Amino acid sequence: MVILTALSAAIYAAVLIPFKGGIPIIPGITEVRPANVFPTVFGLMFGPAGAWGAAIGNSLADLLGGTLTWASAAGFFGNFMLGFIPYKLWGATGLVPARDMSQNVNCRRKLAAYILAAIVSSSACATIIAWYLDFVGLIPFAFLAIVITVNNLLAQLVLGPPLLLLLYPRVRRWGLVWTDIMRPEEVSGGFLRFAGAALMIVGALGGLIVGLGISTDLYGQHLFSFSAGVKGRVGVCLGVLPFLCLIVIASLMLSGREQFSDEDNT
Amino acid sequence: MMGQEIYLERETFFHGLDPRTKMFALVIFFVIILYFENPFWVAPMSFLVLAHGIASRSLANLRPVRYVLLVLAVSSIILWNLFANGKTPLFWIIERESLSYSVGRTLILLSLVVEGIVFLSTTRYEELTLGLIRLGLPYRVGFAVSTAFRMIPMIVASTYAVAQAQRSRGLDLDTGNIVQRVRKYLPLLVPVFLSMIRSTNTFVMALESRGFGARKNRTFYLQIGFKIKDFICLACLAVLFTAATYFKLTGHGMIAGLQRF
Repeated sequence: MVILTALSAAIYAAVLIPFKGGIPIIPGITEVRPANVFPTVFGLMFGPAGAWGAAIGNSLADLLGGTLTWASAAGFFGNFMLGFIPYKLWGATGLVPARDMSQNVNCRRKLAAYILAAIVSSSACATIIAWYLDFVGLIPFAFLAIVITVNNLLAQLVLGPPLLLLLYPRVRRWGLVWTDIMRPEEVSGGFLRFAGAALMIVGALGGLIVGLGISTDLYGQHLFSFSAGVKGRVGVCLGVLPFLCLIVIASLMLSGREQFSDEDNT
Repeated sequence: MMGQEIYLERETFFHGLDPRTKMFALVIFFVIILYFENPFWVAPMSFLVLAHGIASRSLANLRPVRYVLLVLAVSSIILWNLFANGKTPLFWIIERESLSYSVGRTLILLSLVVEGIVFLSTTRYEELTLGLIRLGLPYRVGFAVSTAFRMIPMIVASTYAVAQAQRSRGLDLDTGNIVQRVRKYLPLLVPVFLSMIRSTNTFVMALESRGFGARKNRTFYLQIGFKIKDFICLACLAVLFTAATYFKLTGHGMIAGLQRF
């Protein structure tokens, strides 16, 4: 798992760094990031290693790409959730057939589960980062949340399915999928998984929608304007905070054990 | 082409410092350079970075990334102008204040990149791991971070190797605009990732054969410890940090009339 964490971090950082000089959206904060497909794909394939790899990889890319700023702390947690949510949510929503929980998109129901995981993880990542940067008065919530959500989602939806179809069968054959490496008892048991999945969806999407509503209605921020409105106000902070707590609670409720097949258990 | 190791074997003052001192220096530098926006205040720190690079004889590692740095500098100067406004028109939509701001931000960006590369050029991965562990990070996390650092140049080298192999089979990677070139490179990334993922199996076996994780408390062949030169360095860093914080708190280093978006 340690090596898979390092591998996920290295690949993520290696693809992020060249794009630091590519097409910046907010210089020093974010840029067009096709590499954002990796946290989701690695989270599904490598489980916790993929999630930690995304967090570490983003920080390494910030360090080597010259964008290690106050935003990097939020980037660590946001990118962690980008890999963690797909890993935990995959088997908990009921979309993936129970007879085949393999983390691939080889049928419509799994593709639907992938799209849902991508939307929820993108929203959670955007909400965490934009909430923090608005709170410290650096970037307006509305603009940054939309930029990060769209940036993540485009990479995940366009590049994710083909990448997963290409990589998963080989990684499975080499015995590197997390369900091959970990034992079920090593994964937290969780409780009320369906409720946990529902809370995660409400927390991520609700935080984004409520944050956008408060920041645009109360503080005059615009979705596509960096300069409009005021930032750093308590309304966005307090309005979004309960949804961030929901994300944390849902993370504790979700498990991942359901993804082990009988073959894995024997 | 970047080799598999960023570290440069040199006999300099900075190479001999304890890794924790180097990490403190990196963090303090990354904090204080972000205090200021006026390029006249940022420039001295950029010179410090340059002096650090020259004294540690590690600027050779900038050569492989010189074009990336150039693109970063140009795009940063242009883009930061769009994120700021001023009172003194200079030309077209550019004001003197916004130009100063963009030059300052560009200096900060380049200094951060160069300082990161100098740090990795003067610190072995083993030292980095041990330094992180001595600072309280669990061994496995420290090992994962240093292994990730080690793997990044390997991925770059692997990408070049795959690209050369495909070139020798007649794939044209050198013509077309930037979008066309990126599209040509994308299919090459899959074999790179697959070869890296496959190599983890070998890596894991090598680690397990050496008893990785067998005992809770690890011992290390490499020994680190603070020496007099570390204390001198830390004292200098403390003075630099205090002075920079004082100037920041007293409102120095800002650009008068600048309006940031």
